[in-house]
Amino acid sequence: MTTYQFFTTAWTWNSIVLVLSMLSFVGYFVAFGQRGRPLYFAAAVGVFLLAFISPFSALADGYLFSAHMVQHILFVLIVPAFLLLSLPQSFSLRFPLTYLTHPVIGWAAGVGAMWLWHAPALCNAAVTSRSVSAIQTVSLLLMGSIFWWQVLAPREEQRLSPLAGIVYLFTACTACSVLGIILTFAPVSICAVYQHPVDRLGMLSTIRGAWGLTSDRDQQIGGLLMWVPMCLIYATAILAQLARWHSSSHPEESNA
Amino acid sequence: MNGATTIAEFRETVLDSAKRRHYQLAWLSTVDHKRIAVLYMLTALVFFVIAGVEALFMRLQLAIPNNHFLQPDTFNQLFTMHGTTMIFLVVMPVVFGFVNYVLPLQIGARDMAFPRLNAFGFWMVPFGGILLHFSVLAGGAPAVGWFAYTPLSETPYSGWQGVDYWAVAIFALGTGSISFAINVIATVLCRRAPGMKMRRLPLFTWINFVNAFIILAALPVLNAGLAMLLIDRQLEGHFFLPAHGGSAVLWQHIFWAFGHPEVYVLALPAFGIVSEIIPVFSRKPIFGYESVAASSVAIAVLSMGVWGHHMFTVGMGRPLDVFFAISSMLIAIPTGVKVLNWTVTMLGGRIRFQVPMLFCIAFLIQFLVAGITGISHAIVPLDWQTKNSYFLVAHFHFVAVGGIVFAVLGGIQYWFPKMSGRMLSESLGKWTFWLMVIGFNLTFVIQHFLGLVGMPRRIYTYPDLPNWGWMNMVSTVGVFFMSAAALILVWNLAVSFFRGKIAGDNPWDAWTLEWATTSPPPHENFYALPPIRGRRPLWDIANPNRPDPIVGPDTADVTLPDHNKTGILAFIFSEAGFFGILILSYLYFYAHPQGGPGPQELDLKRTLIFSVCLFASSFTFWRSETALRKKQRGAMLGWLVFTIVLGGVFLVGQVGEYWKLFQSGVEVSTNLFATAFFTLTGFHGLHVLIGLIALLIFLWLAWEGDFASGRGSAFEAAGYYWHFVDVVWVFVLFTVYILPLFR
Repeated sequence: MTTYQFFTTAWTWNSIVLVLSMLSFVGYFVAFGQRGRPLYFAAAVGVFLLAFISPFSALADGYLFSAHMVQHILFVLIVPAFLLLSLPQSFSLRFPLTYLTHPVIGWAAGVGAMWLWHAPALCNAAVTSRSVSAIQTVSLLLMGSIFWWQVLAPREEQRLSPLAGIVYLFTACTACSVLGIILTFAPVSICAVYQHPVDRLGMLSTIRGAWGLTSDRDQQIGGLLMWVPMCLIYATAILAQLARWHSSSHPEESNA
Repeated sequence: MNGATTIAEFRETVLDSAKRRHYQLAWLSTVDHKRIAVLYMLTALVFFVIAGVEALFMRLQLAIPNNHFLQPDTFNQLFTMHGTTMIFLVVMPVVFGFVNYVLPLQIGARDMAFPRLNAFGFWMVPFGGILLHFSVLAGGAPAVGWFAYTPLSETPYSGWQGVDYWAVAIFALGTGSISFAINVIATVLCRRAPGMKMRRLPLFTWINFVNAFIILAALPVLNAGLAMLLIDRQLEGHFFLPAHGGSAVLWQHIFWAFGHPEVYVLALPAFGIVSEIIPVFSRKPIFGYESVAASSVAIAVLSMGVWGHHMFTVGMGRPLDVFFAISSMLIAIPTGVKVLNWTVTMLGGRIRFQVPMLFCIAFLIQFLVAGITGISHAIVPLDWQTKNSYFLVAHFHFVAVGGIVFAVLGGIQYWFPKMSGRMLSESLGKWTFWLMVIGFNLTFVIQHFLGLVGMPRRIYTYPDLPNWGWMNMVSTVGVFFMSAAALILVWNLAVSFFRGKIAGDNPWDAWTLEWATTSPPPHENFYALPPIRGRRPLWDIANPNRPDPIVGPDTADVTLPDHNKTGILAFIFSEAGFFGILILSYLYFYAHPQGGPGPQELDLKRTLIFSVCLFASSFTFWRSETALRKKQRGAMLGWLVFTIVLGGVFLVGQVGEYWKLFQSGVEVSTNLFATAFFTLTGFHGLHVLIGLIALLIFLWLAWEGDFASGRGSAFEAAGYYWHFVDVVWVFVLFTVYILPLFR
């Protein structure tokens, strides 16, 4: 299969996911009606679908570790961020869930989403087993949401103060960069299934040949994606915290 | 000894004994931030002269083709010493000096948060400097460049002790820098005057506050690398020796993971100085305070992830090249934002072209060129062509001299009146300025072209190729202009100190708090502070009819964080970096198993038992803290003793493990696994030992009743450190003992 054929045909029209997305829209309007910010919600669903049905998903499904990493980053950092932004101001969590709003839990969820799913056994299982893959996707979205809650919660008083937010984001960035560095320089394959993919689509020769992505390079790019672009997402969030701090006039935020 | 007696008699007649003791010790034993700052700067001046003379010698050697004025070895030693001295013993001490003097004054503090730690940080500079230069007497200076690339810097290729002295000296200097950064963070967070909110900090203070975090992140990385290099050299380890499975490229990664942030460690204080001077001499507030402040944070974050652009020629592979090229280009954005801020601040201002401002204008122009040539090095193919040429030499001297030194010279002219009470001569200052600008550009502009026509750097002489001769001669002539500028500066400093015009409190009509006190300030800095409601308190006083807008809410005073805890948290942050590098290096070598002993030699079960002791000691310490809070002296002492015993048991266990390994013939030098294992666990054990000593001191203090009044914060701070040591062990235990189970 050539590159052109691949990008025109390898769309995965997963009916369950499509139906769930439609239902989530209905659910969103039922729950929040006019109070929500549906554009953000549409962005969240859009990015999610793009990651799930586009040819990227086909690549992530056994061919390329780096494509998997793009998916991973979108599920942990982009989709949950849009989700939280779409919530109306009045939104708050109820009792048992409020435990999830502790900063330590949030931090552990965000960093854990990166580290946990790259333990070799889990990483392999997520590629070879459909159900594990589904669990992975849901858990990434959840952990990402718990992580971003500290920064993007609907109301000011639910968030960390800007300077604490910077510490929160910077340390998370460092913790994920360390994993990125390990993946980049690891001389062994972390996620061994990507080394010898099952060539379901007849794409392997194009990937290895025309694209020049050997499995070593592929893992390196995966590590670098986690290291550099992901840190840029955190860096952007840090700058947003600074902007919030400098524009704030609430007394409780300028104590620091 | 007739002469000695007369001098003693002479002293007797001039000063009484109490006064004499005062003068003998006042500067040596001082913990006053202002005096320490002056010591920092004077030390930097001494080393500046030394490193400058080294540069002069190199340029003399290179003035004409086929010159044999210097031996090749001498030349290598000179460029190593010149680079190391200028970075670690000139620029860092001088900017630390500025920060030490100005920062506490700008936030209305009496002193730094930890005055004695401050003195320690300073004394590491002469200590490191003397160690480094002592190598000349101990067989020869290092000749490996300031980055000491392995394996050249390893014993087989640098057999004399130069590199050892170099490594120990830089380790000492790095430790001093870390202590300084901890102090800056604690001072800014915990020692601000009432009303001096974080959002109202002068930009010099804010930028140096951010810079302290870069220091805390970067210097421990270097220290870890130096420790590994020293273990290679002294204990026959194998970290960076490819012949034994080590990795020479790993050293480059470690060095530049420090080295690139280090560029910003040097540059950010310069940005801070410029951000103070340009508004004052343009008679306008800075344009876009927030973006100058935020772009500093962006620089700090980005600077950690761009080191790879120093290694494009190493052959890291295309993926790494591409990512590092992009991230390196990105860092131009926040830097460009700053240049824009400074330029727009000048736009439409009533600019006073006095010496501080002249230097800042020159800084802007020269630094812009440095930035553009810098960005060119992010373009990988161009970098391959120019990296090892004089083009690169020209680039980083544009950053270091045209950028940083010009800003520092402006800063000296600007703050000297505050420090001495007298103005520097404006006319001599202008001589320095013009000679410096002419000399600097003569020397380094032409080096760009020398590089582009192919002159490699680090060569001690060159053949008589077309144009190389005269271009090098121009470059050497420029050095004499700069030397003259430096001589005039020293003359200016000396003469103005005794005979300069009296400055008064605020000679420049500046707006930040350091100008609200006398020149020089009294020992306690301020007799009374003006009200602080914005970023320019002195402007508000001078213009009561049109004060600055109030920045942020003017709430009643809030309690500032405790300085003990803040300081120890900053220290823990730096230690985490140190252990991070050791653990990552261990993992890297673990993935390449060598022949000989490996993790199978280790005793997991026994270690687990001792680990439980260590983890339990965190719990017992927490109980001890609780008892202290409840003022139960007996329980507190008991739990503390229990903690110490548990920590001791862990150490005994570690010694047992080592003993068993030694018995079966496994030593640091056996193979790469042994080197990495003993380094990682050894440094952890050392930290446990230090923690135990700290706890014993606390036990003694508690026994003596020092905590009777419940001063818990120092005790809790020690607890943070103890818990941190335990957490590190979680990671070490997992990496060294648990991970092999999954193999």
